[in-house]
Amino acid sequence: MVNVRDIKTAVKIGSLVLKNPVMPASGTFGYGEEFASFVDYNLLGAIVVKGLSLEPRAGNPPPRIIETTGGMLNAIGMENIGVHAFIKEKLPFLAQFNCAVIANVYGETVEEYQKVAEILSGAKGVHALEINISCPNVKKGGIAFGTDPDTVHDITGKVKQATNLPVIVKLSPNVTDIAEIAVSAQDAGADAVSLINTLTGMSVDIISRTSNIANLTGGLSGPAIKPIALRMVWEVAKKVSIPIIGIGGIMSPEDAVEFLIVGASAIQVGTANLINPLATMDILEGILAYLEVSDIMDIKDLVGSLKTERPREE
Amino acid sequence: MMTVCKAVAAGNVASNRELIDGHFLMNVKLPLSLERPLPGQFLMVRIRGRREPFLGRPLSVYEFQRHVKNVTCEFLYRVVGKGTQFLSQLRLGDAVDVLGPLGRPFEIYPPNRKIVLIAGGMGIVPMTYLAGHYRSSGAGRNMKIICYAGAQNADALVGIERMQTCSDTRISTDDGSRGYSGLVTDLFARDLRTYDPRETAIFACGPRPMMKQLAVMLKDKSFPCQVSVEERMACGVGVCLGCVTAVKDDWGKRQYKRVCKEGPVFNIQDLIWD
Ligand SMILES: Cc1cc2nc3c(=O)[nH]c(=O)nc-3n(C[C@H](O)[C@H](O)[C@H](O)COP(=O)(O)OP(=O)(O)OC[C@H]3O[C@@H](n4cnc5c(N)ncnc54)[C@H](O)[C@@H]3O)c2cc1C
Ligand SMILES: Cc1cc2nc3c(=O)[nH]c(=O)nc-3n(C[C@H](O)[C@H](O)[C@H](O)COP(=O)(O)O)c2cc1C
Ligand code: FES
Repeated sequence: MVNVRDIKTAVKIGSLVLKNPVMPASGTFGYGEEFASFVDYNLLGAIVVKGLSLEPRAGNPPPRIIETTGGMLNAIGMENIGVHAFIKEKLPFLAQFNCAVIANVYGETVEEYQKVAEILSGAKGVHALEINISCPNVKKGGIAFGTDPDTVHDITGKVKQATNLPVIVKLSPNVTDIAEIAVSAQDAGADAVSLINTLTGMSVDIISRTSNIANLTGGLSGPAIKPIALRMVWEVAKKVSIPIIGIGGIMSPEDAVEFLIVGASAIQVGTANLINPLATMDILEGILAYLEVSDIMDIKDLVGSLKTERPREE
Repeated sequence: MMTVCKAVAAGNVASNRELIDGHFLMNVKLPLSLERPLPGQFLMVRIRGRREPFLGRPLSVYEFQRHVKNVTCEFLYRVVGKGTQFLSQLRLGDAVDVLGPLGRPFEIYPPNRKIVLIAGGMGIVPMTYLAGHYRSSGAGRNMKIICYAGAQNADALVGIERMQTCSDTRISTDDGSRGYSGLVTDLFARDLRTYDPRETAIFACGPRPMMKQLAVMLKDKSFPCQVSVEERMACGVGVCLGCVTAVKDDWGKRQYKRVCKEGPVFNIQDLIWD
C-alpha cells in the first residue's frame, strides 16, 4: 500500500499549481474571514471568494433562501462589497496563508468583466480569476451571458486580454449543450473551466401562493444537483483538453472522487460548507484515504479514469 | 463582540417533550468545549447524518447549564414546518450537531435601569434567558424586571412559568382567553407613559408585525430598545448572505445586514420594516 505522504496531489490550472484539488465554491465561503477559525487554509488547494463586481451591490431583498429536497435555492443577487473594497479590506487577510486565492468575477456587461479582471490583476495576492458567466447580460435583456457560445468566446477573449492571471470560466448548467460552451471558452483561451453553477429553480408556498424566494426564482445547489453536475463534467471532459474543476452537490469524499473519475482535475465544495464548516477539510482527508487504499500514487491517474465498459462477470 | 466557535459540537438529546400542543422543550447534552451563549445569541441545530432536513435551524437558548462532565442546553420551539417537525420526533439519545454560540448578543445595561421585556409567541425564549442572566449576575439580582408576554390564546401561552423570576409579568392574548385582550404591544402601550426613558431599557422579541408596531410606538421616544429578529438561515456564520434584513446605516441609507452576524440583535430604530 502507498504511504499517504508520498501521494502526489498537485494539480495545474494554467500556470497556477495547486497543492491539492480541494477548494470551496464561490459564495459559500464569504471572503474567507468567517471560516478561518474552523479551517486551516494552509491545507486547502485554493480559496475561492464571493463574486466581485466593479461597484458594491446590495443584492436581492429577503427571503433569499429556502431549503428544498436534498438542497436549497438561493437568490442572493450578487451582494458584494465591490472589487476595490475587496482588495483593500479583505485580500490582506487572505495573503497570510500559504494558499492560492481565486477571485470570482461578476459583470453585467463585457466591459465590466474586463475592468474587474484588470483591477484584480494589479492586486498582490490574487492567483487566478474565475469568471462567473451565469450573470444576466443587462444589454441583452437579462439573458445570462453563459447561454450563448459566441458571447462566452467574446468575454473569455476580452478577459484574457485584460489579465496575465490564469482564467477559469465558470459554466452555467442552464443550457442545452454545456460542452459546446466549454469548447468556446477553451478556443478563446480559457485556462480551465469550472462547472456547474446553480440550476434555476422555484419553490412555492401553497398557503399564500407566493414564491418562497422574493426574487421568485433561485439557484438550486446541494446533493440534489450532483447527478446532473457529474454528467455535465463528463460531457465537457470528452470535448476539451484544459483542466476541469467539478462542482455540484459534493458533500463527501466519495462524491468528490466521482467527479475526479469522470474527468475533473479539481473540485469545489459549495453548499456542504453551509451545514458543516469543516466540509473542505473532511473531503480532502477522505480523498487522500481513498487514494491510499486504492494504491494510487498520483491523483492524475484517477482523473478521467471512468471505465465505460462494464467488467464482464466471472 | 463576537464569539468564535472552533467546531461543530456533537450533542445527544436528553429529553424532548411536548409542553403544549405543538410546542416542545428539548434538552441536549453537549461537550464542555461549548461556550456559554450570551443572551441574544443562538445555535444552529442539525440532526446528525440526516439529509432531510438538510440545513440546520437557528434556535435561541432557553437555558444553559455547566456540569462536571458536560453542558446542557435547553431549547423551546414551536413546530411550524418540516425542520421543526423532524426535531420534534427526536428521542432520548438521538444525535444532534450544534454550531455556536452565534450572532451578536444583547448589550447588557448596568443595574441602574429598569428592564422591560416584551415577548410575542416564541420570543419568550431569548427573553427568559436574558432575564435569567440579569438575575444570576450579582448586581442584577435586585433589578426591577417587567415582562410583557403575549400569545394568540391561552393554550399557546408557553414558557411564562419561568418568567416568575421577573418582578412583574403581564400577559395578553389576542382572543382575551387569558390576561389582557389584545396585542402585547397594546398592553405595553397602556403603561408606556409610566416609564422614564432615562431609567428604562427595553428588550423585545416576537413576530415581525409586533416589532414593527413597537418601532412605531417608540419612534419619537428616546428609550434604548434592542430587538432580536428572525430570518431564514443557511450557514448561520455569515458566509452565504442568505439571512439579510434591511437596516439604516449611520447616514440613514438603506442596506442589508446579516441577521446571523450583525444580528440577530439590532437597535430597533435601525431596522427598516417594509
Ligand atoms: C436567531 C433565531 C432564533 C430563533 N429561536 C427560536 C426559538 O427559540 N424557538 C422557535 O420555536 N423558533 C425559533 N426561531 C425560528 C426557527 O428557526 C424557525 O421556526 C425554523 O427554522 C422553521 O423551520 P421549519 O423547517 O420548521 O419551517 P419552514 O418549513 O422552513 O417554515 C415554516 C414557516 O416558518 C417561517 N420560517 C422559517 N424559518 C424561519 C426563521 N428562521 N425565522 C422566522 N420564520 C421562519 C417560514 O417562512 C414559514 O412561514 C429562531 C429563528 C432565528 C433566526
Ligand atoms: C448561497 C450561495 C451563493 C453563491 N454565490 C456564488 C457567486 O457569487 N458566484 C458564483 O460563481 N457562484 C456562486 N454560487 C454557486 C456555487 O459556487 C456552486 O457553483 C453551486 O452552489 C453548486 O455547488 P454546490 O452544490 O456544492 O453548492 C453560490 C451558491 C450558493 C449556495
Ligand atoms: S445564514 Fe448564511 S450569512 Fe447568515
